[in-house]
Amino acid sequence: MPSASSPSVSLLPWPVLFFRNPPGYHDAYIKEGSRHKLVSSDSGTDQRASDAALIERIVQRDQTALAALYDRYAGMLSSVLNRILRDTQAAEEILQDIFFQLWRDPARFDPARGSLPGWLMVIARNRAISRLRRHNPAAGDELTQVAVASPFNIETAAAQNQLFGRVQGALENLPAEQRAAIELAYFEGMSHSEIAQKTGDPLGTVKTRLRSALETLKRNLHAQAASTT
Amino acid sequence: MSAHPTREEDFDLYALGALEGDEKRAIESHLAQCAECAQKLAEARGRVAMFAFASPRVDPSPAVKQRLMAQVRTEAGAERAAAAASTLRRAPERAPGFFSGWRAVLVPAFAVLVIATGLLLLQNRRLDIELAALHAAAEQQQKQLDEAREAADLIGANDTVTVSLAQQPGQPQGTAHVMYNMKMGKLMFDGEVAPAPAAKSYQLWVIPSDGKPINAGVFNPVTGHADHWMMDMPPGLSPKMFAVTLEPSGGMPQPTGPMVLMGKA
Repeated sequence: MPSASSPSVSLLPWPVLFFRNPPGYHDAYIKEGSRHKLVSSDSGTDQRASDAALIERIVQRDQTALAALYDRYAGMLSSVLNRILRDTQAAEEILQDIFFQLWRDPARFDPARGSLPGWLMVIARNRAISRLRRHNPAAGDELTQVAVASPFNIETAAAQNQLFGRVQGALENLPAEQRAAIELAYFEGMSHSEIAQKTGDPLGTVKTRLRSALETLKRNLHAQAASTT
Repeated sequence: MSAHPTREEDFDLYALGALEGDEKRAIESHLAQCAECAQKLAEARGRVAMFAFASPRVDPSPAVKQRLMAQVRTEAGAERAAAAASTLRRAPERAPGFFSGWRAVLVPAFAVLVIATGLLLLQNRRLDIELAALHAAAEQQQKQLDEAREAADLIGANDTVTVSLAQQPGQPQGTAHVMYNMKMGKLMFDGEVAPAPAAKSYQLWVIPSDGKPINAGVFNPVTGHADHWMMDMPPGLSPKMFAVTLEPSGGMPQPTGPMVLMGKA
């Protein structure tokens, strides 16, 4: 293993590290491996392999690579699916189908365009809200080429556990009405006017609340991310 | 190009799905044209996706992974089967390719084969004709050999009777012999007579002790050549005399013309 003070990680400017997630970033990150080594409690080749490498192995029809990605992200996706649907069986159906679609057509995810867990979470939320609202999208196909740049490294269980705590903490720190607006938008898939209708608040008020909430969350979460780097 | 969104949160609001109507259409039309803002949207999606971690942690049951991997194994098996079937379906398509690859060799070879077959058929036909001719010649030789053997047998036999036929006065010049053997039932004529007049033939007759003369052969001699033949004699025939008469061309059932040669048995 390379040393923990690998310059390829430490010299990256933080906006690049946390917001841009450039092509090849994960590969370089894992190869140099410093931070990964600190947070990882996993063992074995598959646990250390980068998302991009596992996706490439899925392209080569390697079933163990899919199993490794499932182990890596199923808990995170299962959580948000259950939160949106409040239906364990429906959540598990979608979870299974997301990974099965990844197996059937791994090329739908382009590592050059961003983060796999970010992409998977966008797909999971989209599928769950469609189910919740009785929409019938073609299994999230419209998201095939959606680029998602994740601000965090969430390839390890430990990193994910940290994020559960951080994000929940950040939301709890919001004013109650802002938090409610964010939850209605994110977990219920509601637009401005739907939230206004739901809460009985004026549309302009809802817009302001959401905007303020997003601004606060962005500032707090990224401040936390930067402080832990 | 439309103006960039004025506030950074617009990207987050769009990623969240909160925008609608004119606000939504405005940012979408701008994003389609602005790579810089498309990147900002990708970052906003990443930020918004993090809200998923506001969910209580719920791990899926182990059965989900088992079902997924079973589904994947089934799919992988189907892919292999499809690949195998595809190979099988392609197999017949290889046949024309295979033959087209050999066409440069097979077509001339086939032409040579056709020509060779034709030549062989012609040669076969010629050989058939030659063989038939040889057969005929062999039969002829066999016949001549048989006649020679019969003649030798006839000549060599003790009980063979030789009769000299003498020229009759005022008739064409000639001499002939008849040899016959009653036991063998064979008769042989050997004679050299002057050519017959136009439209006439010589005819040999066996004149039995009782009864009418019997035709024993018609001949048209050529100058300088002897006439020679053998014939079977009717059984029980007892010759008294042999005679050669001059008859109309081709011979007659009974003698009509003058007696040219005659000999008593």
